[in-house]
Amino acid sequence: MNCAACGAELTYDSRMVSRHVGGLVACPYEGLAYAELRSGHDRIYFGRWRKIDATSIDIRRAYHQLGRHLSAIAQALGEKDLPAARRDLEKASEALETEEPGDDSPELLRLMDHALSYAHRTIDDLLHEMGLPPHSPMDFAEWYNVVEVPFRDAW
Amino acid sequence: MIPLDRYPKQVTLRDGARLTFRPMVREDADRLWEFFRSIPPEDKMYLREDVDRKEVVERWAESLDYETVLPILAFDGDRIVGDTTLHRDRTGWKQRIGTVRVQIATDFRHRGLGTAMLREMRHLGEKSALRHIVAEVIEEQQAAIRAFEKLGFERAVVFRNFVNDQKGRLHSLVVLVYSMSHSEEELKF
Repeated sequence: MNCAACGAELTYDSRMVSRHVGGLVACPYEGLAYAELRSGHDRIYFGRWRKIDATSIDIRRAYHQLGRHLSAIAQALGEKDLPAARRDLEKASEALETEEPGDDSPELLRLMDHALSYAHRTIDDLLHEMGLPPHSPMDFAEWYNVVEVPFRDAW
Repeated sequence: MIPLDRYPKQVTLRDGARLTFRPMVREDADRLWEFFRSIPPEDKMYLREDVDRKEVVERWAESLDYETVLPILAFDGDRIVGDTTLHRDRTGWKQRIGTVRVQIATDFRHRGLGTAMLREMRHLGEKSALRHIVAEVIEEQQAAIRAFEKLGFERAVVFRNFVNDQKGRLHSLVVLVYSMSHSEEELKF
């Protein structure tokens, strides 16, 4: 199932799509540039795999989500002349492909975290190219099951 | 030649402020001097030249050469609110290394302008066939260091009690490097 508004897949760790407004799914990303990429990022960013009680299934699912997210970014990047973004996307893929989910992959979470950071940077490059501010996941935190508020800084 | 056809570029900050980025031209000298006059003295201590002297800024404007120093200015209307420069050597052993410097007006700090300007420099560095971009930051400037790191710059070295400000106090200098070389082979000698 995909969000009718932003296009992101909603099969796992979905944001609170059960909130219906006038019979329609309320999507906080609707109308934003690269809505699918923002939503896809946040769904992983706020996902269960990063919680202390994450199961191996949570991690495996997030791993595959991340792979699909990188593919979506690659598609959006297309032939755009954005070498820095392309480099970051390559780094994201490298990080993700270094280890596969399994019992003997202690570095996996760290590598997935790196991949997600590189992916975020690529999205921000795409937004910057449109003259838009970077994507801030915390602006959408209320849509997810978030207990902690990470440090925020803007220079 | 770095392609500059992307300018003027409109940039919106997180709080909705709409700015224009474009390369500095000779006619910007007065506005740039006004910008530097508005920079707090404690920040000017870290600049390499005495920008309180108008002739310094006028000399920059008169001798503009984008192939060696490319200044990109951020404008809020007619007012300059940010200045970032990409410094390069045309020849010699550092010709593939660029140095980036950034200065932001006080009322535009912590609004994402510094990061936007760094993102611009990173793009220009990539387009100018550089292998590395280097930035030097005083250790106390933690927000700036975080912004560099967020964009992929890595701390290469920290020189402890290495540089002095205009009052003679020592500060540690953090050198950050953004590497653009793809191939490991390129880095081998």
